[in-house]
Amino acid sequence: MLSNPFSAPRARHGRAPDVFRHGAWVSMREHRETDEVDFAIVGTGAGGGTLAALLAEQGFSVVAFDAGPYFRPLEDFASDESEQNKLYWTDRRVVDGANPIQMGGKNSGKAVGGSTVHYAMVSLRFRPEHFSARTSLGYGADWPISWQEMWHYYDLAEKQINISGPLTYPWGPKRPRYPYRAHELNGAGKLLAKGCEAIGINWTETPLATLSAPLSGPEGKSPPCAYRGFCRFGCTTNAKRSALTVWIPRALAAGAEIRDLAMVGRIETGPSGRATGVHYHREGEWHFQRAKNVVVAGYAIETPRLLLNSADQRYPDGLANSSGLVGKNLMTQSNQAVWGRMDEPVRWYKGPPSLAITEHWNYDDNKDFHGGYIWLGQGPLPNEWASIQTGARGLWGQKLRDAMLDYNYMIGVKMVGEMLPNEANRVTLSDDLDQYGLKVAKITYAWGDNDKALIAHALEQMGRSIEAIGAKGIFLQEDDTNHLGGTARMGSDRRTSVVDADCRSWDIPNLWICDGSVFPTVGGVNPALTTQTIALRTADRIGQLAAAGEL
Amino acid sequence: MATTRERLKASFLLGFRGEAPVARGGYETAPIPSKTEIVTAARRLNRAAGTIAASVLVDSAMEHYRGDFRNKAMWTPIVTSALSIGVSVHGHVDGRHGAHPLRDTVYVAAGLTGLVGTAFHIYNVTKKVGGFSWQNLFYSAPIGAPAAISLSGLMGFLGERVRDNKPGTRPMVAGLPAGRVVAALTGASLLGTTAEAGLLHFRGAFHNPAMLLPVTMPPAAAALLVYAAVGPAGVARPASRGWLAATAAMGIAGVALHAYGVSRNMGGWRNWRQNLFAGPPLPAPPSFTGLALAGLAALALLVDDKDD
Amino acid sequence: MTKPRYPGYDVLAKRNTPSWDEATRKVVDKRLATPDRPRFLTRDEWSVAAAFCERILPQREDAAPVPLAALLDAKLLADHGDGFRDADMPYMREAWRRGLAAIEAEAKTRHGGRSFASLSDEDQDRLIGAMADGGLGGEHWGDLDPQKFFKRRVLVDVPGLFYSHPSAWNEIGFGGPASPRGYVRLDGDHRDAWEAAEATPGHEKKAERDNRHVV
Repeated sequence: MLSNPFSAPRARHGRAPDVFRHGAWVSMREHRETDEVDFAIVGTGAGGGTLAALLAEQGFSVVAFDAGPYFRPLEDFASDESEQNKLYWTDRRVVDGANPIQMGGKNSGKAVGGSTVHYAMVSLRFRPEHFSARTSLGYGADWPISWQEMWHYYDLAEKQINISGPLTYPWGPKRPRYPYRAHELNGAGKLLAKGCEAIGINWTETPLATLSAPLSGPEGKSPPCAYRGFCRFGCTTNAKRSALTVWIPRALAAGAEIRDLAMVGRIETGPSGRATGVHYHREGEWHFQRAKNVVVAGYAIETPRLLLNSADQRYPDGLANSSGLVGKNLMTQSNQAVWGRMDEPVRWYKGPPSLAITEHWNYDDNKDFHGGYIWLGQGPLPNEWASIQTGARGLWGQKLRDAMLDYNYMIGVKMVGEMLPNEANRVTLSDDLDQYGLKVAKITYAWGDNDKALIAHALEQMGRSIEAIGAKGIFLQEDDTNHLGGTARMGSDRRTSVVDADCRSWDIPNLWICDGSVFPTVGGVNPALTTQTIALRTADRIGQLAAAGEL
Repeated sequence: MATTRERLKASFLLGFRGEAPVARGGYETAPIPSKTEIVTAARRLNRAAGTIAASVLVDSAMEHYRGDFRNKAMWTPIVTSALSIGVSVHGHVDGRHGAHPLRDTVYVAAGLTGLVGTAFHIYNVTKKVGGFSWQNLFYSAPIGAPAAISLSGLMGFLGERVRDNKPGTRPMVAGLPAGRVVAALTGASLLGTTAEAGLLHFRGAFHNPAMLLPVTMPPAAAALLVYAAVGPAGVARPASRGWLAATAAMGIAGVALHAYGVSRNMGGWRNWRQNLFAGPPLPAPPSFTGLALAGLAALALLVDDKDD
Repeated sequence: MTKPRYPGYDVLAKRNTPSWDEATRKVVDKRLATPDRPRFLTRDEWSVAAAFCERILPQREDAAPVPLAALLDAKLLADHGDGFRDADMPYMREAWRRGLAAIEAEAKTRHGGRSFASLSDEDQDRLIGAMADGGLGGEHWGDLDPQKFFKRRVLVDVPGLFYSHPSAWNEIGFGGPASPRGYVRLDGDHRDAWEAAEATPGHEKKAERDNRHVV
């Protein structure tokens, strides 16, 4: 009865799926390929989805492309880990280097809404000093935007996404009250709190982009979280505030067009050197959409890949690459964990996995390495838990099966840690081709000494915290990373950055990049809120530039 | 204005026996209430006590089921509120004068249960990680909830005291005019219950404008009752009566609104086994109805029973 | 054989309750109906895979078996992997083809021409242990690193198949699918009526009784 979201595009014929109602549609304005639209946006996640809504609301004509399908969460998402693999970007890629990054659920998404469709909803602000890491803290690179300005846009982002968070956040400068109250802690969250108290550091409820009460917004009606625990495999409740449920409906209502199952393979530039539109693959053939501006928002792998794949005679090293930095300074975040067994059941599969947090080590500078980290409560479902047993402990056979029996007694805390930018960590093009015949990304990564020192520190602190509350058989998960950043960094100097503070490329004034790849540093917190915040600011700036006739 | 304030202050200080010029002037010849009127007022309070007890019975049964009855003491409010309903029904059908020892015993027990329950709930909060944090105030054993059974006991107890007055006398409670005592205590109780609703609706971020009703209507009702408690007696106060009647109706409408709230949760009523507990509590709002009924009883006493 | 931790718990009993939605029913039904015959693998590859997977996750006599070879075959047929490859590794399908062939060749070389499937559990485990510890390599493997094949492919793919099966969820007391119904009681030592009850010492009978009503 249900259509297959992969077999044919859903957003067409003047309508797009209504994600809030079974089988329903919302109307969608469509543009002809020969129309020169104001903005062609490549990617509909935290960067592109947000920008599509905000630009359309300013009256610009917008077409946003996504290589992935347009899911209906109420109908297409199963409560099943392996089935929901369909949310990830699992097209071909090559990973390399001393510490190759494992691609998949933690760092990619291929769907309208991007990886926010399956993110853990952790919505944190960077520490103010993160924005001037070079000047204030002596490492990495400075952002070309002040923290005060970011704070202003964070306020807007938290309000519009409707974050549920604690009444007072223990770290950093004052912020307004979160729109919704924090969620009830599950067993794993309470144990994180106990562990923090046992070693004398602060904790709080994690600000999460999932509703703790019903919401009747302009985009639709959402029920509150049902604590089903499958957040990272797509929220069937629609309590999750993803780009798919927040920004895309707003974009459609404001007249933007979404093209799903539309893989952009190349950006075309004209004789003037400006971008003229995008070539995209949809329904078995290549098309070209004309555009006055092109925004690339494909995240830290696909964004540089598209820029590099768009090389032409005028730009033989790829677009926006006069600095030579496109693809370079790739950063992931350290995602190590400690796990142990409690005497009482924990049943961590209930509720969002990361209900409690400590950000203590982001704000403590008495460390002999650069950067900071947080740690969060955990609730891996059986598949992921098995992969941790095999990956971290090398278990197989009867030992693996026996260890899995303790599933309901396990606890763990997992860090999100800052890794430093390094030009040798980068995205290049491989000779492998994907299903569209495009060169795939080759991702090279090695941890630096500072990264290793930070990880060692975090593992020790996390270990202390769960040991202090009586966890037994503690083991470390030493090899894991998650979010990405870098590869098209923003800056105030065209020689050392790819885009300026407005996410506008230095080389091609009508080519913009708006996603996690513009991050000069990744900070020690989950990046999704910051990506959306950057998009909010970019939208404002585009409006101002347009008004001043500077687009 | 200044004189009014001074007069009100004086009435408080003198235990409601202050020289109230208005009352003294205009209503000296008002009739002393008949036996029937005393019993009527007492029965009203029995109904108020029963309504609150019914709310407590269902609410504590549901919440303690959610808490798995892991402590045997969690049965206490269920037993006590059931008994309170029983004696309230008994009081409602009882047309006789004079307090009833069994009713009195149950009402006193209910009052104490609430106090002990509050202590239990406070203990429950303190032993949770985070202690007196918003997290625990929102999601642990609700500190304000056990007080509801105390209020049932209190209203019933007041009813018994009113009923205990000799026929043909002015009804007094503890040496004070009954109408004023009931009005003052009901006003205070409404404020307490408002605090509880306010906390939980704040937890729900007042996501629906209707959630503001129980934090605005009852405090206004409380103010009217306090004004009645210290103001002139023998006045009809139709506006106050109307407001209290509306507050009583709000308590019933609250059940309907909470039912809608349940339907707003994932799976709606079809998923009732989760949503009856995850959604807003259906039995909670009628506490306001019970208190509003007590307030109406107080106003009736004040009209009937000129106290000077 | 140890007694089950969650006696009588069957996550499939919740199939027609609000814990399962239509999409989930479809997915799990399809998984349970996976044809038990090779569709991507050859017959020979299948027989190696079946024996091999059985050692990665040995079946229990008292639990419904998880047909790992069939599930692996289906995964390869659909080419539903993580997509990426290590620079010195082939993509998933090719890695499995070459890995299974090399395992079979190793067995034959070491055990006088006997196939992997015909070896004793101990011999199979010894061979797998050598692969896990980096003790294999050479002519049968070509440029495929056996240890990397084991860590990056085998230990990524096979446990994921096993713990996607309801029988495995029963064994570890996982709540299983949960939509539209989630959970009310979020504490770990506090189960909702539709969660698995554990047979703690002295309470085995009660757990069994509770698990009959997990709906």
